[in-house]
Amino acid sequence: MAVSVDEAVATGPAPDRTRSARRRGGLGRTVLEVALLAVLAVVMLFPVLWMIETSIKENRDVYAIPAKFFDFKVTLDHFKDVFVASGGGRSALSVSFLNSVLVAGVSTVLATVLGVPAAWAYSRFSVKAKKDQLFFILSTRFMPPVVVVIPIFLMYRQVGLIDSKLGLILIYAAFNVPFTIWMMKGFVDEVPAEYEDAAMLDGYTRLQAFWRFTLPLLLPGIAATAVFALIFSWNEFVFAIFLTSSDGVRTAPPAIAGLIGGTTVDWGLVAAASLVFALPVLIFAYLVRKHLVAGVTLGAVRR
Amino acid sequence: MRYLRRSGRLSVPRRTAQLATAAMLVATTMAACGGQDDGASASAPKAPATIPELTKDPLTLSFIWFDWPPAHALETFANAEYTKERPNVTIKVNTVPNANWHDAMFTQFAAHKTDFDIPVLDSQHIGEAVTNGNILDITDFVKKNIDVNAYNPYLLAAYGQFPQAETGKRDENASLYGLPLLGDTWTMIYRKDLIGDKAPQTWDEMISAAEKCQADNPGISGLAFHQANGSDAAAVTYNTVNGLYGGNLWDSKARKIDGVINDAAGQEAMDVLVNKMKPLTAKGSGNWFIDEVNAAVAQGKACIAFNWIAASGGLLDPKQSTLGSTREEILSKLGFATLPSQKTNLVPLGGMGMHVSAYSSKEKQAEALNFMKWFEQADIQKKWAAAGGVPARTDALESPEFLNAGPFNKVYADSVPRMRDMWNVPEYARLIDIENTNVNAALNGAKQPKDALDDIAKEQQSVLDSSGRKGGGGL
Amino acid sequence: MSDPAPLTTDRPGQVASATPPAPGRSRHLSDRWLAVVFISPALLLLLAMSVFPLLWALYLSFTDYSATRGGPANFVWFGNYTAILASAQVHLRALTTLIYVVGAVALQTVLGFSIAYLISRRTHGRGLLTTLFLVPMMLSPVVVGLFWRFMLDAQFGVINSMLGSLGLGQVEWLTRQQTALFSLIVVDTWQWTPFIMLIALAGLTAVPKYLYEAASIDRASEWFRFRTITLPLVWPLLLIAVLFRAIEAFRLFDLVYILTSGGPGVSTETLSFHVYKVAFLGFNTGTASAYGILMVLIVMVLTQLYLRYLNKLKED
Repeated sequence: MAVSVDEAVATGPAPDRTRSARRRGGLGRTVLEVALLAVLAVVMLFPVLWMIETSIKENRDVYAIPAKFFDFKVTLDHFKDVFVASGGGRSALSVSFLNSVLVAGVSTVLATVLGVPAAWAYSRFSVKAKKDQLFFILSTRFMPPVVVVIPIFLMYRQVGLIDSKLGLILIYAAFNVPFTIWMMKGFVDEVPAEYEDAAMLDGYTRLQAFWRFTLPLLLPGIAATAVFALIFSWNEFVFAIFLTSSDGVRTAPPAIAGLIGGTTVDWGLVAAASLVFALPVLIFAYLVRKHLVAGVTLGAVRR
Repeated sequence: MRYLRRSGRLSVPRRTAQLATAAMLVATTMAACGGQDDGASASAPKAPATIPELTKDPLTLSFIWFDWPPAHALETFANAEYTKERPNVTIKVNTVPNANWHDAMFTQFAAHKTDFDIPVLDSQHIGEAVTNGNILDITDFVKKNIDVNAYNPYLLAAYGQFPQAETGKRDENASLYGLPLLGDTWTMIYRKDLIGDKAPQTWDEMISAAEKCQADNPGISGLAFHQANGSDAAAVTYNTVNGLYGGNLWDSKARKIDGVINDAAGQEAMDVLVNKMKPLTAKGSGNWFIDEVNAAVAQGKACIAFNWIAASGGLLDPKQSTLGSTREEILSKLGFATLPSQKTNLVPLGGMGMHVSAYSSKEKQAEALNFMKWFEQADIQKKWAAAGGVPARTDALESPEFLNAGPFNKVYADSVPRMRDMWNVPEYARLIDIENTNVNAALNGAKQPKDALDDIAKEQQSVLDSSGRKGGGGL
Repeated sequence: MSDPAPLTTDRPGQVASATPPAPGRSRHLSDRWLAVVFISPALLLLLAMSVFPLLWALYLSFTDYSATRGGPANFVWFGNYTAILASAQVHLRALTTLIYVVGAVALQTVLGFSIAYLISRRTHGRGLLTTLFLVPMMLSPVVVGLFWRFMLDAQFGVINSMLGSLGLGQVEWLTRQQTALFSLIVVDTWQWTPFIMLIALAGLTAVPKYLYEAASIDRASEWFRFRTITLPLVWPLLLIAVLFRAIEAFRLFDLVYILTSGGPGVSTETLSFHVYKVAFLGFNTGTASAYGILMVLIVMVLTQLYLRYLNKLKED
């Protein structure tokens, strides 16, 4: 089972600690620890809170010195600006959000469709040089994007994929397939091969056994894996900025980065756009919280 | 705890060796195929002298520019006015972040496929684009369709001529690759309420005025100018001071930089910039560019600031300013003036030209040429001025439509005869990066001013001299 | 291949009885076939999108090719590599990258582990705490970079504003040599401390309770228990996290691009950022490819370490 935030609450050495703490008269220490945790939590969360505050401030308050923490007028204009262009109609930002949805969505589907069967095959069959293959697969995921983007760029220009959504989809899928395979292999390993063997004794083919018995059991794992792939594609910046340039193709990260570097910086808009952009990721991450450890280590670490 | 179900050891050397062998095989195969597709000659294709017949079908003419108000103004203006003549045409101005502007255009050029028809190139980009054959040679087209006498010759040359014109002149025999779209230069923005109505006349006076203003008004810094290491920010600042103190960026005929930019005048300019001007700026302003300088002025935090005219419109917007609640109130505090002079009166040439992508379809190239011809007419230039643009034709520059459109427009008109540009050689991007990072380092105490200037000279010279080197170009 | 069962059968029993008596070989063959069919599409995508471009880059790294200048690519063989390895500019970036990677990873390991340890000692609210701490990790580097740039602004930033309220002076976070690199480390630490925390927490909660109980009967000191029970059990997992972060930090590009664009001067230019400049400012594609290949080699060594370690863990 993968580590889960909820389970972490229930287990662990904590109960016995209370006893030892009491023995040492460690109430002071408990207070200290709680205080320390609270301080750390505030430090870690402050930037996010500040982002939320900035997104609902009027521009003149955004620049106020000393900074205004509470007494400012609340406005939702920045959120409106994220979606609606100043002259009415759809804003360039909202177009880029739609592009992001499309690019991240399709690349995730592609990575899942290619990765899940491969993971199953790697888990079940004795494949020649399996370890080498798996190592090779994972190592492609670790390539520095700035390095990969050079030959990819040359390749794309030969085949006309520069500044196209398909180009982004393919490269994101290629970066997500190794992750999908490693992550899913763990999930497949957890489903006993005996289920399939039993099904095959009943006369199903291997493929049918996979399709009817194993796959349904894998669905939660697939969902979790897909969410992590989705988050990667959604947040990706390097390929997006070097391989796309037009408004119709650009995804949200370069579009948000483009909000600064004009003649004035509207930090309120930057904050609002960032929040709108981050919200889906936070929701998705919450949904897959049971699989976070495996997800963030590309499926390498599981419990 | 359970980890991967894997066992055994991975043997690196063997696999690496296999990989290397395979790689060499592929490399050799590719080498046999030669240099891929790039057999194209390294010179720009020619545009027709007369505009070919235009299509009647719906057509979208695309520009690429960086994201700033003039780009949006252009799209609105062109869609409102150009469509009166060509109702089947829609104008689209694609915008990219300023920091990504050069890369966005030249990566597409490199791809030999552009999603834009009219790249808005900075004057310095021309050399790179021409040498690579990315934009059309429009010399014949200009001869036939454009009234060249209507322009200050240097303005016409600055956005189109390659090889580069001498400052203030145009070489009538040189080829042209673009026409002016938006003129620009620096304006001095000063607080009339703090340093008086009269703008300082010399650079030294300006520095003393800023010094006094800073001392008299705690919390307000004397100066605000571009110092960032991205785009051409810090480099333009140094180049401006360099020009004013009688320095030169290079000797274009001898292709010599080392010994020119870092001569006595160059050293003095660097000294003025780092030791006299920088101490008057706000703490932490070492990464400021256009928008930060604007913010400082709008927040009332600077006595004297320097910024591009085309980027200054937002300063008059009461919604973004703490200087007043109406445009008039803001204008009673802010003055706009041409740059003070010192040993010379040179000012930086800004703005951009329109060029035609060599990779656009014939149909769209024809439309692009037609647009350029249309755009350079006297009455259209005046309308462009009224819409917030900065025209290049002399008659438009002198027209009330332009001079009344903004308080800084007279500054521009007065600055035209004083302009100087940087190099527009193909190595421009590397040259500007070397200068940007070194000036930025000097401004932020990461390098001694003299070392920074000598490093600029040495490194830029090696970029110019590097042709024919065996490997390692661009480091 | 010669699978006797029709794919659409609904009556398994019947088919089973029809299965020939020598299923071993046939099943083996069909399994291999299935494995090939299932694995090859994924591998093909990787070959096309990862391996082929990398081989292309390898070829270009021996030439003076430029993506924009056109013309044939002339072989300079190891010219690019020797130029890179000898370049003082590259050494400078390598040092910057090293300081950054070591500083950031060390800081987030200490912090992440501390937070995990503190959380693991709480009985209540652990789920909520963990979830809250994880938020920074989920944000896009673009969002993180932009917003920290705003907060660290010397004039208008909230950090200096708070320092000012405390009576401390303004700090030039992004425009001084030392502070800029430090800021980069701080921002990276802010974003990735949760990563270490998450994995450390996984390790900590897995330490069997009876070990502590035994130790507590022995009246072992808290530090002794930590040193002899907790740390040895969590350390292997923590090392995985550290290696993983080191690889990621080594590849870092976007945060530099947005937060400092390498400034002041070039003092926060990492190797990734330098490669970008070589590749896209001068379009010295050959040199940039060689530079990239060298970086890939380093990543491969780190990845190898990472996998070795994973293997070892599994064997123990």
